[in-house]
Amino acid sequence: MENFKETNQLRPGLWATVNERYPGAMITKSDFIPLAKLKKPLPESRLTFVSTAGVQPKNSLPFDTVHPVGDYTFRRVPSDSKPSDLEIHQLKYPTAGAKRDLNVIFPIERLQEFAKAKIIGGLTANFFSFIGYNMNAERLEQTLAEEIADAVEAEKPDAALLAPA
Amino acid sequence: MSLDYLKKAVADGDTEKLIRYVRLHFGDGDEAAGAKEIDKAWIEALKLLLDVPETKREFILETLAEKDAATLAHLFFHLHFYFVRRSGEWIHDGEL
Repeated sequence: MENFKETNQLRPGLWATVNERYPGAMITKSDFIPLAKLKKPLPESRLTFVSTAGVQPKNSLPFDTVHPVGDYTFRRVPSDSKPSDLEIHQLKYPTAGAKRDLNVIFPIERLQEFAKAKIIGGLTANFFSFIGYNMNAERLEQTLAEEIADAVEAEKPDAALLAPA
Repeated sequence: MSLDYLKKAVADGDTEKLIRYVRLHFGDGDEAAGAKEIDKAWIEALKLLLDVPETKREFILETLAEKDAATLAHLFFHLHFYFVRRSGEWIHDGEL
């Protein structure tokens, strides 16, 4: 990417490691989309949350962690859920810590507390979750990303917290 | 690996790249671990049949006859994880 700087990454060298293990997996984009600026102060902003942690409501169709090319679906996670209402279907990152406290990967209770304390203006009715194991980058961009963007937009958030797992 | 990379490997008949991908998938990025996982699944399946238990062969034949090849391929991947998990040597800590 034109404006990409390796030093901006929290884990420099990560991409080289990924590319070594999965040759051809690197997604490079020539366009650069700057982050949007908040239009309202945070205490007046309604926040949504988009995560690749594979967190989903219990009894919803499990994410497909088996498929060799990935899962291109997402789940809505009601923002008033308790951790006990949710489960993780994901094999590609260690989940032991998240099973002890879901908030380490999907900080739903912290966000609920922030909303209650008026640190943020509120939460959208739903958060959004999918798994990051998607080998068809074109399909990811043209279907899953678009569908999540539409679903997020429909909830009219003022800000979105994006968290890769 | 990107889908293009894999499709090119199919077109080129580069089976080594394809099986490497499968091993990496099963081994969470560790090719040697993935190869071991494949062996584990087959060993577990074999162990279950050594005493020649009664099996629902009609179900198997009907499934093979009635379901499309892509669904069966997907099932094949599911079965791999099913038998690995059943073996008790689950290298993942996550849930399917």
